[in-house]
Amino acid sequence: MATRGIDFATLTIKDALDLALLIEEEARDRYQELAEQLEAHHTPEAAGFFRKMVKVEEIHRSELEKRRVERFPKEPRGVTRAMIFDVEAPEYDQARADMTVRAALEAAMTSEKKAHEFFVQALPRLKDAEVKELFLELGAEELEHQKWVQLELDRAPASGDARFDDSDEPVAH
Amino acid sequence: MTAAPLNPNVFKSDLKPIWCPGCGDYGVVQAIYRALSAVGRPPHEIAFISGIGCSSRIPGYTTAYGFNSVHGRALPIAQGVKLANPDLLVLVAGGDGDGFSIGGGHVAHAIRRNMDLTYIVMDNQVYGLTKGQLSPTSPRGLKTVTSMYGSLEQPINPLLQVLSFGAGFVAQGTPADMAGLAAIIEEGLRYPGFAFINVQSPCVTYGEEEQQLRAHKTRMKTLASLGHDPKDYLKALEWSTHYGRELYTGVFYKNPEPPPSYDALVRERQKELSKGALPRERILDLFKKG
Amino acid sequence: MASDIVIGMAGSGGDGIVSAGESLISAVASEGFHALMTKSFGPQIRGGESSCRVRVSTEAVHSAGDSLDVAVALNWDDFLKFGSELKCGGNTVVVYEEKTGVAPDKIPLPGVVPAQVLAVPLADLTKKAAGTEKAKNSLVLGLLSSWLGLARASLTKGIERRYAKKGDEVIQGNLKAFEAGFTYAQEHPLQRPLAMAAPKGTPTAKLITDGNDITAAAAIFAGCQFFGGYPITPSSEVMQLLSRELWKYGGAVIQAEDEIAGIGTALGASFAGKKSMTATSGPGMSLKTEILGLASIAELPLVIVNVQRGGPSTGLPTKPEQSDLFQACFSAHGDVLRPVLAPTSVADSFTTTVEAFNIAERYQTPVIILSDQEIAQRKETLDPIDTSTLKIEDRKRPTEAQLEKYVRFAASDDFVSPISHPGMKGGAYLGAGIEHNESGAPSASGAVHARMNEKRFKKLEPLKRQTGLVSVEGDPAAELALISWGSVAGVCREVLAHAKGEGLKLKVLVPTLLYPVPEQVYREFLGSVRAGLVVEQSHQGQLYRLLRMFIDLPKGVQSFARSGANPIQPAEVLAKLKELSFGLQSRVEDERRGDIE
Repeated sequence: MATRGIDFATLTIKDALDLALLIEEEARDRYQELAEQLEAHHTPEAAGFFRKMVKVEEIHRSELEKRRVERFPKEPRGVTRAMIFDVEAPEYDQARADMTVRAALEAAMTSEKKAHEFFVQALPRLKDAEVKELFLELGAEELEHQKWVQLELDRAPASGDARFDDSDEPVAH
Repeated sequence: MTAAPLNPNVFKSDLKPIWCPGCGDYGVVQAIYRALSAVGRPPHEIAFISGIGCSSRIPGYTTAYGFNSVHGRALPIAQGVKLANPDLLVLVAGGDGDGFSIGGGHVAHAIRRNMDLTYIVMDNQVYGLTKGQLSPTSPRGLKTVTSMYGSLEQPINPLLQVLSFGAGFVAQGTPADMAGLAAIIEEGLRYPGFAFINVQSPCVTYGEEEQQLRAHKTRMKTLASLGHDPKDYLKALEWSTHYGRELYTGVFYKNPEPPPSYDALVRERQKELSKGALPRERILDLFKKG
Repeated sequence: MASDIVIGMAGSGGDGIVSAGESLISAVASEGFHALMTKSFGPQIRGGESSCRVRVSTEAVHSAGDSLDVAVALNWDDFLKFGSELKCGGNTVVVYEEKTGVAPDKIPLPGVVPAQVLAVPLADLTKKAAGTEKAKNSLVLGLLSSWLGLARASLTKGIERRYAKKGDEVIQGNLKAFEAGFTYAQEHPLQRPLAMAAPKGTPTAKLITDGNDITAAAAIFAGCQFFGGYPITPSSEVMQLLSRELWKYGGAVIQAEDEIAGIGTALGASFAGKKSMTATSGPGMSLKTEILGLASIAELPLVIVNVQRGGPSTGLPTKPEQSDLFQACFSAHGDVLRPVLAPTSVADSFTTTVEAFNIAERYQTPVIILSDQEIAQRKETLDPIDTSTLKIEDRKRPTEAQLEKYVRFAASDDFVSPISHPGMKGGAYLGAGIEHNESGAPSASGAVHARMNEKRFKKLEPLKRQTGLVSVEGDPAAELALISWGSVAGVCREVLAHAKGEGLKLKVLVPTLLYPVPEQVYREFLGSVRAGLVVEQSHQGQLYRLLRMFIDLPKGVQSFARSGANPIQPAEVLAKLKELSFGLQSRVEDERRGDIE
């Protein structure tokens, strides 16, 4: 959860909106990557959940993009993907071959939590009132997302049968 | 290199990695995309040479000109590429076994030759692709399929070795700190000489729990936070002796006055000497007597 | 009743397909059946597609067999990835997971009309019986056990043993899944019954192992005291077993820094008087070439195992091929002759390895064992080998008298000089790669060089006459012949059995000694031959070409060769032989009618 080259004190509302949508975009792309990894490693159920998250993050991203474009239709972006690192995107370490849906949900929960953390931690450093408002809003939304993930977690089957795992040994190439 | 940054996705190829989910190398390739995008050279001007191993598959996952060569010989091949066309951005990659075991003989010479290339080693203390044997950086006493009673060998220290051979840029990173990793790779790419980056990139299949990325987060200490000045070569040597016990990240050493690279010197020499060149059709005049 | 069944199974690594295969082969072996198991995987290290073939027979078998008798597809995507390795035909009973949603008359096997197709609710049945889908592989074993009338007691005992460490709940769950599969099969008997007959003779429990492990065991038996090597697929297991066991015999193992150091350390140990070995695959052989030459000119015993894989260069690391024959014979600068042996099966790998050590010691030479991934990594049942019949040879050592004035490369009738080693008083000499005279002193004299080359070549002449290094089977007067080597020889031996059944007069030659080529043996074999095939797994047909270098192959003997990862199966060889036989027949008739010459 890090940024590079972003000065929160001078962050404008335009840049803040761009930052927010890039965070969703990074998360969307990462869920896509993890879904592909898991599919290539025969872990379809967890992959399926990550594919759902791709759609969810894309919805968040496009909502933010709409707001940005309505407000600043022509202005170029001052913030790029190169400036953010795994803010909301789940870390690669969260994935495992044969992971359960429950584990995938836990990865999503961790991501929503760190996204929330990101917006909350930035608050004291923000000078622009509108940006502060936006960050408060985004932080609250991440809490909503966490609630949704929690509901899914409550519904997810317990991982009780891990002991029955009889996977073939890894293979030499 | 003052090119404008490119979108990192420009460097991502369509080939699906065979790496196990959770492998540190996913973070490394992502950091490479970031670093390349910051440097701004287009993919077709980049040559990416590797050896054999899980981590050596990495060139195929980029859109650069890749060469997944043979075990341990990425460095000589890369130097040939660079000298043939010094304008190329040349990256070299491989694992700790590829680089320091079978490839070990080439490291000293690549460093003392000092061509402008960047060598990234994914260090996971094991041979993953061939199913979990000992590697040259495996800790003493480690039990693997070829050391069932515990390894009797001291591991090599890649950081100390590379520093002692005189490398002008030596850094270490981990995918547990993606921002830091992308930054040192970018810095290495920009360094005008041989740059070495050791990445602690854990093997999720054969590595121990303490080696995984979650453990890195608690173990790692940035050299910056320890007050290290990368211009201080002797201090860098001292920090590097902690390899294996501590996970220090960041730049160990960066030569503040980098000597001209081999390829730069060669270019100068070629320019100088070309003034006295016989036309090719008259090359046999070399053997004229009197 | 059936006597020979081939089962092929495919799914994802998480389904435990290979584990099921291993349980099966273990169980049938303990009941006295002969069995053979091969595995194949996708490119992932874990969690990829996974398959195995298990062949069970009442008699000894020599190859992985032809098309499957039972095909088990846990999902179709994975099954199809294995292509011709899991060939289905008109004899195949196809069993697949009903949840794939594929209709039985629409299974994705174009051009194949299987004997029977069964969509089985594998996952659901397992879930109902065991409470989890993960015990699917045990359910499949239950199905097979019932349909094949096979090893029920051994399989259930195997399940108890396999999951013993995981606790009673897991054991019971798997046993319930097994029973559920067994019951389902009883309720859905096969249209074409596949119940197996009892094994021939008095069934005794068999050993199970693979080529790599047995090669390592043979080295220990032969008195090997040192192994130097480097990990490379598919030979690493040789080093792994020795790294576990060799210390117990006062020996040492080094996983060296690279392939060259691997053979270097092994050569050093030989110089020091110990029997020693290295093991690798194609890329490693290329690197070891220089030191191989050194071993030859220094006249030091050394055993080098090459477990062949698809080439060239990195090639196909997990697939067998027989394309390193040229390299084994000829890869050297200078004039070098070194013996090349090839085992044909797991059991044969034991005796061939022991003999390799003997030959190395007897002639003071490096000896290459050409195994391949198929033999190295396939599991076979073996009857216990009577090791008391195998002799073990040691290098000729100098006598006290000879040590008074020791001449390392002294001329002798058999061109083999007694060899000393450091520690032996009076025996100090200079070993070297540089050409040398009888005392070992460097020499560039033409006469010395010619003499030494002659010594190094002539000493190996008796090897060509050694009995037991070439096997000839079948009708001695047959005009139709097969020549084959390594794992493919097993296919040809089965063709011979089929040929007898079809009234085809055939003979088969299988050389264990590939090089030097024992010309006389071939000449005698080929005397009656007018047509035939040299069957092997390489693009160039390397044995065919090697033989043509040294003997006059009859015009009618052709090459039947193709690249690795394209398994050669008995049926197609037999078909080609019939074609050739028919051609021979019609030529005979034409000759009789006077239409030819």
